[in-house]
Amino acid sequence: MKRGLVFAFGAAAQIFCRLCAAGPADYVYTPAVEYGEREIDFKAGRANTHDADQQSAASIGFGYGATPHWFTEFYSKYESTGAGGTHFDAWEWENKFQLTETGQYPVDVGLVVEVERPQDHDEGYEVRFGPLFQTEFGKVQLNGNLLFGRQYRAAVSAPMQFGYQWQVKYLWTERLEFGIQGFGDVGPWNDWAPADQQSHRFGPAVFGKLPVGVHKAIRYNAALLLKASTGAPNNTFRIQLEYEF
Amino acid sequence: MRLFLIAMLLVPTVSAAADTEFRLSIHEHRFEPAELRVPAGKRIRLTIVNQDAAAEEFESYELHREKLIPGNSSGTVYIGPLEPGRYPFFGDFHPKTTTGVIIAE
Repeated sequence: MKRGLVFAFGAAAQIFCRLCAAGPADYVYTPAVEYGEREIDFKAGRANTHDADQQSAASIGFGYGATPHWFTEFYSKYESTGAGGTHFDAWEWENKFQLTETGQYPVDVGLVVEVERPQDHDEGYEVRFGPLFQTEFGKVQLNGNLLFGRQYRAAVSAPMQFGYQWQVKYLWTERLEFGIQGFGDVGPWNDWAPADQQSHRFGPAVFGKLPVGVHKAIRYNAALLLKASTGAPNNTFRIQLEYEF
Repeated sequence: MRLFLIAMLLVPTVSAAADTEFRLSIHEHRFEPAELRVPAGKRIRLTIVNQDAAAEEFESYELHREKLIPGNSSGTVYIGPLEPGRYPFFGDFHPKTTTGVIIAE
């Protein structure tokens, strides 16, 4: 009985941590869909946590703009924690829906829905979804996203978690844009965790698109995220590279 | 944070300003007209009619827009309000011939 309780507690803590903390390789979603575009997408990140351990994550995926308002992408995700080495972590299917035409209204709106199947099947399926917002003021672009995550068919149930992402970007040149990005996780969506257990991070970011041929380009963005609350890693470096064709 | 959340969910997405409409054609991998004059300070609804059989992508970094227009079909791009100036655009599939500029004045 006692062993069972310990197992249940450990599983619940693992699930809570998985849901409540945005991974080091996470990126800021944008609501626009590029119809007909195909992309190979590589993401990686490393977070230095409180106890000097490092958590690394990476993913590689293939995406396609299937319709003018739907972009779908399939990922293979990997992670590395401490001395555990790098291992396959999960499959992920991400779907982004553009709900308004870019620039038609003061705020562009989209929706992201992603389903993740962790390698550890006790974690069930993770579903993450939320609205995506974007607006522009001259050469300044603002993004803000609200994300809700919950696991289904997991060994131990956990309440739906809530997080957010934001970025401010100065559209300097096509090849180099710069700004600030932020990520946060507050715990259960309807009963936020105490402030010292929430994770809030933000820091400088760079973005750009490098044309490499007719209708071919490499798009990049990277950020160094610094701890803004006690529940966050000390610092996180994240990068995303996309080959678009 | 809760106030931020509520504000984000209540962000008005209904625009009050009326759109000024313009039309652009793609014919034999060229924009017609190649130079389009639009009023500054107004939002523009630009209808792009692709008369070619091949798809083309309207692209402009200056306008922050990318839009695929399949062959023998049309698409709409919303731009502006623009400051007075020149805003070049091109077709990403045929960038040498499919070029143009929007002049806001």
